[in-house]
This record gives sequence, C-alpha cells and structure tokens, in this order.
Amino acid sequence: MSTYTEIRNQANAAWQAVQNPARPLVRVGISTCGIAKGADKTCEQLRELVAARGLEIDVGITGCIGLCYEEPTVTVTLPGGTIVLYGRVFPAAAEAFLEAIAAGAYANDFTIATLKGRLPDVPPIEKHIFWRHQVRRLMAVCGVIDPENIDEAIAAYGAYAGLNRALTLSQEQIIKIVSDSGLWGRGGAAFPTGRKWDFLRVARRTPKFIVCNADEGDPGAFVNRTLMEGDPHPILEGMAIAGLATGAEIGYIYIRDEYPLAVKRVQHAVRQAEERGVLGQNIMGSGRSFEVRVVRGAGSYVCGEETGLISSIQDSRGMPRIKPPFPANAGLWGLPTNVNNVETLANVPWILRNGADLYRAVGTQRNPGTKMFSLSGHIQRVGVLEVPFGVPLRAILTENGGGWPEGRHLKAIQPGGPLGGIMPAEGLDVPLEPDPFRKYGVLMGSGGFIPFDETACIVDMCAYFIWFCEDESCGRCTTCHNGSARLTEILRRIQAGGGRPGDIDLMRLIIAALPWSNCVHGQATPTCVSNMLTHFRDELMTHITERRCPAQVCRGLIRYEVVPERAADAAPAAAICPTGAIKARADGGYEIDQALCIKCRACKERAPEAIRVVDAFAGGAKPIAQPETLRAPAAAPRIAAPAAGD
Amino acid sequence: MADAKTVLRYREILKPFKPDRGDLLGALHAIQHEFGYVPADAVREVARQLRMPEATVFGTLSFYAEFRTTPPPANTIMWCSGPACRLKGGDLIRLALETTLGIGMEGETPDREIGLHLGQCNGTCDCAPQIWFNGRVVGPLQVADAIELARALLAGERDIAKIVPHAVH
Repeated sequence: MSTYTEIRNQANAAWQAVQNPARPLVRVGISTCGIAKGADKTCEQLRELVAARGLEIDVGITGCIGLCYEEPTVTVTLPGGTIVLYGRVFPAAAEAFLEAIAAGAYANDFTIATLKGRLPDVPPIEKHIFWRHQVRRLMAVCGVIDPENIDEAIAAYGAYAGLNRALTLSQEQIIKIVSDSGLWGRGGAAFPTGRKWDFLRVARRTPKFIVCNADEGDPGAFVNRTLMEGDPHPILEGMAIAGLATGAEIGYIYIRDEYPLAVKRVQHAVRQAEERGVLGQNIMGSGRSFEVRVVRGAGSYVCGEETGLISSIQDSRGMPRIKPPFPANAGLWGLPTNVNNVETLANVPWILRNGADLYRAVGTQRNPGTKMFSLSGHIQRVGVLEVPFGVPLRAILTENGGGWPEGRHLKAIQPGGPLGGIMPAEGLDVPLEPDPFRKYGVLMGSGGFIPFDETACIVDMCAYFIWFCEDESCGRCTTCHNGSARLTEILRRIQAGGGRPGDIDLMRLIIAALPWSNCVHGQATPTCVSNMLTHFRDELMTHITERRCPAQVCRGLIRYEVVPERAADAAPAAAICPTGAIKARADGGYEIDQALCIKCRACKERAPEAIRVVDAFAGGAKPIAQPETLRAPAAAPRIAAPAAGD
Repeated sequence: MADAKTVLRYREILKPFKPDRGDLLGALHAIQHEFGYVPADAVREVARQLRMPEATVFGTLSFYAEFRTTPPPANTIMWCSGPACRLKGGDLIRLALETTLGIGMEGETPDREIGLHLGQCNGTCDCAPQIWFNGRVVGPLQVADAIELARALLAGERDIAKIVPHAVH
C-alpha cells in the first residue's frame, strides 16, 4: 500500500508533462453540453488531422469549463505552461483552428482568454465577463484537467489529501471541522451537514451507508453534471470522508439516467481511485475501508427525494416514504444512512485540505462558501458558474449571463426547479442566499436559474410545472397525484378559453390540500400557482375574465390570420402549414381555415409579415362578468368546496 | 417464450448482479442495453437472479420512464420537455411533430420507423429548443424546422444534417 505522499509524487511526475508539455497540448471540452454542440466530432477531427499531417501537437480531452454558450471549447497548453481557452470550435471549424495553432497563431478568431500565463493580444480569463464574481473552488479545474485521469486531480490540487488528513482525525474531529465551516446541504433543504453526519455517527446499528444524491432532476439545473463530468474525484473523496466521520464503509452514488457520460466518468473515477488505493479496502494503508457503488437511475424525478432515492436503490419503485424515521436511523435496508447532495460532498475535501476558517473567507456569515449555479432560458449566455453566497442575483444574470434577449425585459425568474416556484422580476436584487428567496415565496433550490422575458406566459409556465409534478408524482398520496392532476386540468382549461371566476377558489382549495402530502414533492407542487396568485394575479385574471393571453402564448386564446394587404406573401406559410389550413384564394391571396389551424406558429416563422397573431376573443366575445368576491381578494385564503359539477 | 439460447444470454448478462445490494436497476439497464427493451421473459430471469418476486421486478420496470417493455422503433425522436425549451417554443415543436408524424407522444409510425419519446432536460440548454434524434441533440429548432424534419423522415430521409443543417453539430 502506498502512502499519500507516494501517490502524489507518482501523480506529479505524470502531471509535469501536462503542465509544461514539450509540444502544444490541445484539449477539447467533452461534456454532455459540449457533445450537443459537436465537441466529440471536433475532437475526432483534430486527432485525425494531427495524425494525417504528422503535426507536433497532442490532442486530449477535458470537461466543461462552464461557458456552455461558447462550446465546443478547447484549451491549448503551450510549452512553458501557458493555457489558452478557445470557443466555438465547431467540427466544421476544426481544420482552420488546428492550422492556426500549428502555425503558432495562438491569438486567433477562436480565442477567448488565457487561463494561465500571459500571451500578447489575449486577455486573461479574470477579465472575462463570465468570470466576474466567480470564486472557483469546486470548479477550479473543471475544463482544465482530464477528468478521466486521477493523477491530474491528485497533482493539480491535491485530490484525496483531505481524505488523507481525515484518516488521522477522530470522527468527532472531522464533524467539528465540517460544522465549523458552516457547510449546509446544497440539495435544496439547506440542512447543516455536520449535524446530519452526527445523527449517523451516533446511530447504533451497522452497516451504515453514505448515499450521494446525483439525481439532479430539476430541469434547467445542471451544476452536478458539470462537476461529475469535469472533476468527479472530490465527490468520491467527500463520500469517503463522510464514511470515516460516521462509521459507514459503503457508499452509493445514484446518478440520473439522463447523464450517461457522468455515469461513465464516475464509474471510471471509482475504478482509478481503487487502483491507487485511495478508495476500497485498506485506504492508503490505514486499515480503513470505503467502497463506492454507482447506481444509474432510470428516469424518475421523485427519486431525487431522499427516501424515494433510497427506495430506488434498494430494488424497488422510487416511492418516497413517511418520515420519521429519518434515514439516519432507518435508511437503506432499514439501516442508518445519510443522503448528501453532490455539491455538498464535493465541498468537504476542500474544507479538510484548507480548514474551516479559510472556507468561511468567502460568502456570508450565515452562508459561508460558494455555490454553483446554472443559467438557461431567456438569457444571453447559457452556462455554469460558481460564486460566493451573497452576490446579488442581478449580478450573475445581467453581467455573467448577459441579461435577456436584446430588446426584451425581465418578467420573472424560476430559481429552484419545478417545485421552487416563480419569482417576479422585482426579486432580481436578492442576494444569493436561501432566506431572501423565501420572502417571495420561492426556493433558491439546487442551482438552476431560468429567467423569463415578456414573451413567456405565467399561466403557461405554471401549466408546464404542474404537469411535470403530476407526471412525476409517485402516486402514493391522493393529495399529490390527484391534486396536481386537477390543477393541470384547471390551468389547461383556462388556457383553452374556458376559465371560470370560481377557478381561483378551486386553485386555492388544492393549494391548501397539497401540503398534506407525505413528501416534499406533493407539498411543494403548488408553489408556482401560489406565486401566480400573489404576483401575477392580473395576468391570470386577464386569461379568465377577458379570455386573453397578454403574451399571446395560450393557444386557446389566440388566432392566426393572414394580413389582408400582405396576403400575396403567404405562399411560404401555406407550404409549411402541417394541416393544410392556409388555403389559396381565387384572387391570389391566402386565408386560414380556423377549423384546421393548430396554432403551431410555423406559418409566422416562414412569413412573418404576412401572418399575424390576434386575440381570439377580441371584440366579438363578451368578457365574463367578475363577481364581487374576486374584486376584493379575501385577506386569508378561503377554503371553499368546489362548485357542484365543476 | 424465449428460446433456450436467449434465456442463456439473459443469464450471462445477469451474472454480475447479486441479490440484496441494490442491483435491480443495473440488471434491467444491462438487459435493455443489449435488447433495446426489457422483454417479459427477461423479467423472470432477473427475478431468479436477484431472488425477488417477479412482481417486484415488473413493478420497478413499469415505474421508470426510461425502461421499455416493447422493442424500440427504428428511429427515436426524443422531444425535450424542459423549461428552457418551452420558453422558446418547445411545446409548439411537440405539437408540430405529433401533427406531422400523425402520432402522439410515446407513439410510433405504423411501419415502426419513427417513434416519439418524451425527454427530460439534461442541461444542453444552449441548443434550446431541441430534440434528440437517435440520442444526438438537434437544436435550436424553429417549429417550421421540426415540420420539415418530420416530413423528410416520413419520406425516408435519415441524414438529418441535410434537413436542418444549422441545428446538427
């Protein structure tokens, strides 16, 4: 068995050739998001071209650096150690890119910044707008090292040094350091990690289990994937440290099915860590053991709830169960278990390496450290970043993210997945900490931010989130599976032009019933609808009483028409219409057969001048009279029985 | 019923999986990886290998969105249901695909050439709104692109880079 020093020395030897290569080392960011934009093909092309031309260049891989909007990204490490980052190296551009590199033209059309060292005409990454506010601890080497080579993680920042230190400490000492750091669970519940570990430590029965929740199911959140694909080792190391602190010798990492590359990278990392002796039996000769098993999910959102995840691992359907007992007392196979989020665990080695005080050097008093966030939706720059707690949400959305599409304005922000709710645009100035978000009735959640501009309809987005919750309900509680189904029905009826004034009370009734569900899935399902009633009530009422969708999204409330004076230009619209609804008239113009039109918008895309969208009920239709009760909303939500036959 | 050779193949695939250690999902994935779905008679073999009731295996199989119990169609369009896609017209892409192909979500054309499957966001949102064609991201798409894609697929074209070159990377 090698000691950590021996392992690190061996890793350092391999690292020298990467850090200061004899010839340029080209690395393509191979991640799920990179591959979506052709990074794998770029990499293949570069390899083929280098081989065919006998160039003095090496080609390798790395993970996503967080600049998803620049992908495929490529880094080039030059002899001497300078690292340059390049973007938009699409497969078709691979040859031009390679020729520039081979000719020594390192500052070229693809150049973004230097990651390390300096180069004339190339700004350092610290000056890059996407780097603003960032403190990259977890992401320090994402997009820099080869995530499939453990030696690089060990040499670059000392992966498994935290575990090595933990081996010399008592359980209480490890937990004290983690507690002193102020680390809390990043999965959404924000529970102090040290305390959670202590529950498991004092549990009497054995064996005990550490479970890493890598079922990042919130659509629009992809921070855990970035970490698993970019640098998986701190997650495994954090699990092993948790094991030492609590007396668990077996860990499960449960990764969602939608992340096959993350599954592959983590499995590979586990194998390499076992080979090096930093995981498995007799870790680094200490006599202590920790085994990691990788479980791949199969497509179920509710498995992200900790008891659902436990059910899913232990050979069954992913049905959450009633708490208490909490997993620390009765988890996997009824035995003591801790379930921790990927990002929580990945923070632990950093804390063990650098100490609790240094950990608290960034962030706020109550929320020390950093948090990773992903940006998507109506935003200029899609990507992943890591910032200290307390940075204003506005800063990362408008500076790093570049704000909303040009000429549009912000309408709302969806912070924490489908259960997290919808925050009005006024919330833009909240600091990135859990509590300020609660003031708006929403959750900061696990890390995905999705801004909506004015082209989004809040009723439509609520219909989507509630449908999602219905579709992913495990089916145990009637409140949850039936409540979400009823909410979906009501919202879709409103979208179809059949809104009734009584729908508000009906929705309030369901909102009041859902918190009686067993798990957080049902409990939090109505969050977005509550937010809509509070913050977007006018928009909802316009749908119901005027049968009008201000954003012109809801299909039952709009109609497509041929602009009479531009009717001659509608030929491309007629050609694309999937139902043949756009018919040529004898006079050479076109008209839309409303009975056939499905309102898919393709015609307007193809003939934007000739086609217009109008409110279906404008003019002719009579708005529904608004009853007295709705003009002055009751102070407290009134729980009324739904009208008969509703 | 499966022939003896297939049963032997099931058993060979299932050999690494053991009872009472959380191997059920892995076992079902392994079967689906080779056959494209989990055949009914494989359920019996999984149950035998993991020493659990067949009902438990089937209950698990039917719980998850990504396990199939029927052979997959020759080509699968997975439509992304995520919020970033929806904000940019993803719902209309679904409507256009279903209408043009004449099938609903999770359905397939009568010749079993093209199927539609509901996908979940995996964070490739720079390509929103997107679909996956046989596992590969295609996006960003306009609704009109989706209609042309569906029409060309029905006409027998399979090289989708020819149909929507801007969305295939």
